[in-house]
Amino acid sequence: MSITALLVLKCTPDTPNPVILAHAFDFSGFNYFYHPNISEFVRFFGSTVAGRTLPSQRQSVKHKDEVVHSYNRNGLCAVGFMDDRYPVRSAFSLLDQVLDEYQKIFGETWRSAKEVSKQKWPYLVEALEKFKDPAEADKLLKIQMKLDESSIIFHKTIDGLLARGEKLDSLVEKSSDLNKASKMFYKRARKTNTCCTIL
Amino acid sequence: MQARRGQSSYRDRTEEFFGIVETLRRSTAPDAANNVPYGGGGGGRRDDPRSAVANQSEFKKRAAVIGLAINQTSQKLSKLAQLAKRSSVFDDPTREIQELTAVIKQEISSLNSALIDLQAVRNSHNDERTISRDTTTHSATVVDDLKNRLMDTTKEFKDVLTLRTENMKIHEIRRQRFTSNPSKESTNPFVRQRPLASKPAATQPAPLPWASSSSSSSSSSQLVPRRQGEAESSPLLQQSQQQQQQQMVPLQDTYMESRAEALHNVESTIHELSNIFTQLATMVSQQGEIAIRIDQNMEDTLANVEGAQSQLARYLNSISSNRWLMIKIFFVLIAFLMVFLFFVA
Repeated sequence: MSITALLVLKCTPDTPNPVILAHAFDFSGFNYFYHPNISEFVRFFGSTVAGRTLPSQRQSVKHKDEVVHSYNRNGLCAVGFMDDRYPVRSAFSLLDQVLDEYQKIFGETWRSAKEVSKQKWPYLVEALEKFKDPAEADKLLKIQMKLDESSIIFHKTIDGLLARGEKLDSLVEKSSDLNKASKMFYKRARKTNTCCTIL
Repeated sequence: MQARRGQSSYRDRTEEFFGIVETLRRSTAPDAANNVPYGGGGGGRRDDPRSAVANQSEFKKRAAVIGLAINQTSQKLSKLAQLAKRSSVFDDPTREIQELTAVIKQEISSLNSALIDLQAVRNSHNDERTISRDTTTHSATVVDDLKNRLMDTTKEFKDVLTLRTENMKIHEIRRQRFTSNPSKESTNPFVRQRPLASKPAATQPAPLPWASSSSSSSSSSQLVPRRQGEAESSPLLQQSQQQQQQQMVPLQDTYMESRAEALHNVESTIHELSNIFTQLATMVSQQGEIAIRIDQNMEDTLANVEGAQSQLARYLNSISSNRWLMIKIFFVLIAFLMVFLFFVA
């Protein structure tokens, strides 16, 4: 499961074409010669989808075997190109995080942007890498997976405990037998000692 | 001729009936209102003292009025059910349905308040003067009956509304399947109160889907406000088409629902884990007890074996020390033998 591209765009009603503010691409899955084509496609598609996304709206568009998720928040729009096995919820929480980061770092300067910005935003690039695994993006998913692992471990522990219980039961049986036998031994020894005079 | 054949197995009680009617008419004039679906409560009224009759008749009047209104409401409801069932994709009698829903909702709320008034009236009557036990039980039964009927009506109302929303969902799906536009302009009639409740901010609060999905469950005491909420949302739906974003809502619906579901799963997993923990703890404590028993057994065994060993050691000692005694005894025996031998030989 991989992310092909992440884009941050500005799409307010006053700009007819959304402006790409930051982008990060990962075309490793595609043929090298198609890279510029795909880059063009990603830009075009991303800006179209972002332009059609109304504020406070989340959308997912399926294109062949890639899914484009876009999330518009007050004019700042994040678009992600992922394959269709990436869970939708994680995708949107990832876009959420990206937008938060962007707003934290760039503040409100993006509102005045009119042209495609040339600056690179390294966070986006490493986000692309880091969030290949949807569990990273979605905390809920991570928690769920960890809880599942813990419950498996717990079940194994319970099984071991049951086995221990059985062993302890057999031990208690054996020890009580031993107790009785030793008691008989003691009694017999006492009996031979004091009972009959030696003949 | 055929009418006359065979035994007449019925008793003609027409005169009794007329007599009762006369008595009733003489006792209270407003008894005529009892002909309404109120039921056969009029027969027992004869025995009441005159002073209480006026109050009772007021009670009866009100109860009769309420019963009639409940009947009418249920009729309207059945009409609404008809409309909701037969709605097709293209000629949706939405407006009539909306009107009917509003009317029914109003009637139900007014009936509810009327019932509450009736109950208050009855309580005030009970407090004023001493009346027979039968009267109290009767009025209580009447009020309960009316309440039950009202509850049934509201339940039917709710069912009709659910049916209606399902139908609209199906329409929605069909429309999406057959039109080639992206579903931005489509209506979202199955959105409950989300256009109002959702903030345009980024994160939606997670309890929203629970709140909206729980509106389909109703408790009897809150039937009326619930129905108000549901019925209000349907006129709102029309507005929502013009105002708010529509595409957002089903997708955020699924998004929010998936988040809610994930949270539910997490919560249930944690519950299971806590169960497992408690079981673990109990089992460990039980096994600890078993271990203590084993320990006890082993100590006893040790004590026994040590005792036995000491006994045997003493025995050994006694044996080894007794040999001298034995030798002495043997010597004595041999001395006797010698004496015998000397005597014989």
